[in-house]
Amino acid sequence: MMPEGNDGLQPETPTNTVTETDGAIEEFPGQVYEPWLFQTMLGELTNRELGVGFIYSILGQFARRHGLTDVVVTLSHDSFGTQIFRLGGQSVTAELAVRLSAEPGVYCEPDKVPAVECDAVRTACQLAMSLHLARFSATHDPLTNIANRRSFDDALEMAAARSARYGWAFTLVLVDLNDFKRVNDLSGHEVGDNTLRQFGFALRQAVRQGDTAARVGGDEFAVILSNVEGHEAAGFTERLRSRLLASNVFIDFTTGTATSPRDSADPAELLRIADGRLYEKKGLRGS
Amino acid sequence: MMSRTEEDFELELRSLAGVLNVGLTHRENGDVDVVTLVVNTKDSAGTQNVASQIASLYYPEAKVVVDGTSHLLSLQRESGSRVAFVRADYDSKDGTCEVQLTIDGRVGLGRAGSGPLIGGAEATLAALRDLGYDIPFSLLTVTNVTNGRDWPVVVTLRSNANDGDRFGIAKADDDMVSAAKATLDSLNRFISTASER
Repeated sequence: MMPEGNDGLQPETPTNTVTETDGAIEEFPGQVYEPWLFQTMLGELTNRELGVGFIYSILGQFARRHGLTDVVVTLSHDSFGTQIFRLGGQSVTAELAVRLSAEPGVYCEPDKVPAVECDAVRTACQLAMSLHLARFSATHDPLTNIANRRSFDDALEMAAARSARYGWAFTLVLVDLNDFKRVNDLSGHEVGDNTLRQFGFALRQAVRQGDTAARVGGDEFAVILSNVEGHEAAGFTERLRSRLLASNVFIDFTTGTATSPRDSADPAELLRIADGRLYEKKGLRGS
Repeated sequence: MMSRTEEDFELELRSLAGVLNVGLTHRENGDVDVVTLVVNTKDSAGTQNVASQIASLYYPEAKVVVDGTSHLLSLQRESGSRVAFVRADYDSKDGTCEVQLTIDGRVGLGRAGSGPLIGGAEATLAALRDLGYDIPFSLLTVTNVTNGRDWPVVVTLRSNANDGDRFGIAKADDDMVSAAKATLDSLNRFISTASER
């Protein structure tokens, strides 16, 4: 694909001039902009959100448009550091990554593409990456990468609405780590954070596709088990315990459950019931 | 088309500290077969461990390979240097921005009026000129993407030789710093080329 000894990738040169005018828009006096990127972006946005997939799609269309066999975009931003994307999701070598990460921009065969178009592609890709990350961060807990409180509340509302309308059962499980404060006090916050991270990971492994696992407080987690009646939630608890053991995470937890529509169809009421049962068990455990 | 699951999988891998590049190869059924990560971290083994855990959630059969660059990057840092942003201050009394940049121990200072957004970009250009760079560009636009706080700022520079505009984008805690960093972003390649002359 690329000549041996030369990866064929060169940064765009700032001396390129925009000469193509066919179908172009004169945006500023004396400066011509190709509308393809904007049309492509609009077209893409009808099928998908701005994100990683969008970046690969833009690179693919950019390459086809200019007859490129290879193209890489390097992005750099405070929120995600340096990121390198290559046409078709191909990987780059470490040596190439070092060269490419030195300067953000579009790297392709030299002298084929106007610099202004490279800049526009890079800007679009940077925006796509930033928005994907922002969207992910808004709905996920940064420590455990499972859903955060906000997206859990949304998922619970949706599950309750489905349950009320179609009679589909689901079980809400609140999970509280036992003696987690002691872990932080005795071993430090770094160990505490790692325990939470490992617990979150075990939780992700223990739930099935279609269930929701979330971190809803410091050491409090919540799970929505779709199509599960209360007594069947024991299977989830056992899966979670065995995942924790397999990962050498030695921390115990207490659960409280509530099932919709049997206990209630109202999300707030379900939370209240599950919370009550959780603290009832905690009280028994304490005594 | 890349599936939403695969997009989130790749984003989660790219969110790991030091990951520069993610390459995926697929099986015939479309599942991910091999994940190749290029990382800039001393703890490649740790990254591989976490990446393998993540992969096991999305594609349990996938193999994770990690390629480290830290030794190469340290060599590169020794051989080249870049202009770095140091600070930006805004005087609300007279609407003046002051931006400080540095390269190779040298410091450049630039000041401009025009408020935090446009002033941040103008002061950055002034600071670059203070460092001795001949910047053959003039400021065309400085735009906050949504006219709201906490969104990226896009800077457009017009070439004095009419050979193509340059765009930069950055997001920081405030508009002035965003504008300063976006200006540097737009000129990164130019500055790199200029410093080689």
